[in-house]
Amino acid sequence: GGAMSFLKRFPPPAEGVRHQQPETEAVLAGRTLGAGTLYIAESRLSWLENSGVGFSLDYPTISLHAVSRDLSAYPWEHLYVMVNARVGEEETKEAPVAEGEEEEDSDDDVEPIAEFRFVPSDKSALEAMFSAMCECQALHPDPDDEDSDNDYEGEEYDVEAHELEQGDIPTFYTYEEGLSHLTAEGQATLERLEGMLAQSVSSQYNMAGVRTEDSIREFEDGMEVDVAPPVVAGQFEDAEVDH
Amino acid sequence: MEVSHSIKERTIAENSLVILLQGLCGHVTTVDLRDESTATGRVTSVDAFMNVRLAEVTFTDRQGTVSRLDELFVTGRNVRYVHIPDEVDIRATIERQLQAIHRVRYFGGRDKGRKEFPRAKHK
Repeated sequence: GGAMSFLKRFPPPAEGVRHQQPETEAVLAGRTLGAGTLYIAESRLSWLENSGVGFSLDYPTISLHAVSRDLSAYPWEHLYVMVNARVGEEETKEAPVAEGEEEEDSDDDVEPIAEFRFVPSDKSALEAMFSAMCECQALHPDPDDEDSDNDYEGEEYDVEAHELEQGDIPTFYTYEEGLSHLTAEGQATLERLEGMLAQSVSSQYNMAGVRTEDSIREFEDGMEVDVAPPVVAGQFEDAEVDH
Repeated sequence: MEVSHSIKERTIAENSLVILLQGLCGHVTTVDLRDESTATGRVTSVDAFMNVRLAEVTFTDRQGTVSRLDELFVTGRNVRYVHIPDEVDIRATIERQLQAIHRVRYFGGRDKGRKEFPRAKHK
């Protein structure tokens, strides 16, 4: 009972585990909870003692995490995790805000925090543990963020997709990845464009000032390029031709 | 120059002052946290949700205890202030970040003609 009562038995996470570190001691508010395995998963952070009991922390409740190698502050190199909640005295997995109001402490209106330290026996793993936590934390942006106007549904997303001529894309690509996701038609269009740009450099196609009805197209970057047949009718219909 | 690979994050950054914070990468700065602790270190990255990653950090907790942390990640929710270093030219930083975003958005080497980007008409 007591401070350890928040430890529960549960199976280790099976999905989305970005990093797993065995032989890791967990320390809460200066008191050791034993040795076990830390699971840094996309859904939550979990630690399971070798006996099979442990606890989980939800990323929205974690205010910060850090790698500490300052032995004068704490005698072992560790991953420090600060949680926005009272843990251990009363079981709570949610930040005080979620319960409606901040809980008042005996120390005036100080927010309760819980300090965890995860001490791996393998110190060299701390970088990987830290990075994995950064990645997982970034997957849980603050839903209660009232200060910013981040209501970017629809139009703004579509601006980029539209200009990339890929329409309503369901996933986000880096531009290298994006190239490999082009449809066959997109790939053909890209090759045609690149071919035309290459051709426009060579003198035999340098026909500036000569226009035929359906041949010359202007691209966004201001280059005038002779379009060699075949040209798919309407293929540039949705391109921006704004100068 | 780091630009997010996420279209959503680029859009958010482009439309808020987070873009200024993202331009602070490599600079040493102080972040005041919501619980009144402070962290001074070199900015590694700032994402669109204002999550800040710092390296070589001097951390002063709310009781005033000072310690060093090799790396620190603070969630945006817990950031109260980010101090802009004196040597940073704010306007130039914002413009540089915007250019970086536009270079990524219009890949294919088209940024040469980008001076005529539609928004420029409002100048």
